[in-house]
Amino acid sequence: MTDPLRKHIDSLFESAPVSKRTVELKEEMYQNLALKYNDLLAEGKSEEAAYNIVVAGIGDISELLDELQKEEKIDPTVQRRSALLVSVAVMLYILSVVPIIILSEFGMEVLGCVLMFVFVAVATGLLVYHSMSKPKYQKNDDTVVEEFKAWSNQNTQRRQLLKAIDGAIWATVLAVYFILSFMTGAWYITWVIFLLGGAVQGIVKAIFDLSEK
Amino acid sequence: MSIASDLIRGHTEAIILAQLMGSDSYGYQINKSIQQKTGGRYELKEATLYTAFRRLEENGSIYSYWGDETTGARRRYYCITDRGREYFEKLKADWQDAKQLIDKLIEEDAQQ
Repeated sequence: MTDPLRKHIDSLFESAPVSKRTVELKEEMYQNLALKYNDLLAEGKSEEAAYNIVVAGIGDISELLDELQKEEKIDPTVQRRSALLVSVAVMLYILSVVPIIILSEFGMEVLGCVLMFVFVAVATGLLVYHSMSKPKYQKNDDTVVEEFKAWSNQNTQRRQLLKAIDGAIWATVLAVYFILSFMTGAWYITWVIFLLGGAVQGIVKAIFDLSEK
Repeated sequence: MSIASDLIRGHTEAIILAQLMGSDSYGYQINKSIQQKTGGRYELKEATLYTAFRRLEENGSIYSYWGDETTGARRRYYCITDRGREYFEKLKADWQDAKQLIDKLIEEDAQQ
């Protein structure tokens, strides 16, 4: 029953930058609130009452968020890291065709093909990680324009993530198709993998839509 | 209560430092002892508490460390530094001055 607390803290710090300090503060807060919660239960309060008292006792954390935000802005390493991630990913995409070109000279197309998909998978993984570790857009004020920016930012972030996952799924499907086909020689049946890929993509999208609600 | 807490809020740092003078402590314990000392009439909001911790840590009055498992859960403890002790004495002296002044100022002039 202490888990709703963690969820509540997560939602409070949703717009905070992803940093060591944020994680530490959240952990510290969770531990102290859990102690308070358990003490209230021991005093004979119901779970719901205890939860409400704990949540009400947190107060307004906007000042804390501001400080975390400020620290993040002073710290340019995060920006640099994110630029590095994207450029490495793009570089991997471009380089992914090199092994297949070189290795086909020696008659090792399959190995070249496998390497290409490894490159693509790593690059896609980097992009997914990058889009997931970006903090949510922070509203500057409460105007409609800012609200729209936050909304569209949230939407594009989700879309980008979905796109990256889609790319990873199809790259994997293609790799599995080639590897299986070359290994078994059963070309007449291995195309079924593409149908499976389509199914997996549908499931992922469904999970995404569900989690949005 | 709300008027009193407005008055008290300005002295959050001194209150926290006072709890740390005796021994190291962590967030909930500090808040609990504040609550006990005031007979449940005053309690810091978590947000106020952690904001004050960061400010005190920044000016070198306290430092924090994560306790190990032998003490129970992994908690973040706070410890007062020498500079923190000096700062506490200064805050305390400031409050004594302010208290005397305000007492004088809000005294009703019965003699005249």
